[in-house]
Amino acid sequence: MCQKESDNYREGKLSGDLRIQVESHLQQCIECAGIYSIELLADSIINQEKEVSPAKDLTDRIMDRIESLEERGNVISNPFIRILQPALIISSVAAAIFFGVMIGNIYKPAGTVYSRPVELSLIDDAAIESVNMLSNE
Amino acid sequence: MTDIEIINMILHGNRDKFRLLVEKYQSMVFRTCMGFLHDKDDADDLTQEIFIQIYQSLNSFKGDSAFSTWVYRIAINASLNIVRKNSRIPVLNRIGSFFDSAKGREESIPAFDTEDPESILIGTEKSKWIQEALDTIPENQRTAIILSKYDNHSQQEIAEIMKITEGAVESLIQRAKANLKVKLSTAYKKM
Repeated sequence: MCQKESDNYREGKLSGDLRIQVESHLQQCIECAGIYSIELLADSIINQEKEVSPAKDLTDRIMDRIESLEERGNVISNPFIRILQPALIISSVAAAIFFGVMIGNIYKPAGTVYSRPVELSLIDDAAIESVNMLSNE
Repeated sequence: MTDIEIINMILHGNRDKFRLLVEKYQSMVFRTCMGFLHDKDDADDLTQEIFIQIYQSLNSFKGDSAFSTWVYRIAINASLNIVRKNSRIPVLNRIGSFFDSAKGREESIPAFDTEDPESILIGTEKSKWIQEALDTIPENQRTAIILSKYDNHSQQEIAEIMKITEGAVESLIQRAKANLKVKLSTAYKKM
């Protein structure tokens, strides 16, 4: 019961008999009292952290950073550009690879150019009978 | 002058007006950062980064929610990113950075300065355990409890910031408190 109600007790939400019961239990039970004290400490740490203020010159630091960003041309960015930028980079790389392969295929070193023998060029492909026609004879 | 009017002026080139927004919201952003990071210098640096991010994405603020809600969302996302990044730092580095920042932590939580050195040490150790207990509860529970405890927001406001229902917020806070209680009890039993 004490563990269940300790949050409410700590936050001052308990009243009447329940409050008295929790108080008397905390006086008797060492374990519950210990856990209650560490919960109080947790609350106090949170309160202390809440009281910490930002650096006095923080506003100036932020404004200086913004000024230097603007000087470098890093102005308020358009969300479309933010999305398009990586897409443009990827498509540029893909285009470069594609044209590289294309150009590579067009180029043929002089020594490796395949020349058709003259005899083969004389063969009239149209005159060759199909295998099917021959097999029917 | 309303936030929307200030934003419009900034977007039309009056950059200096951003100072008004910084002055108005820096304590709020800083407090949220403290809730996640527990260190003044880190919270200062993160607050600065958050405002740069806010400035750079000002034109994406559509006014569907209050500007403060939008700022909170950016602050929470940025804080969670830092927390996730820190949790990925190898253990040895974290031990090193713990010793480096131990002095700073003592300065930022001056709770035991009237006691003897042993009490200070025990107090600092306890504070560390408590901060660790806070840091190990799940992200959404932690966000809800930080908005509730550090910024004293109502469940309705937290629901709007986190884009969930009020019932979900209540459930998150209850689970966060229960988790915290278990972790603090475990820490107490270790003492």
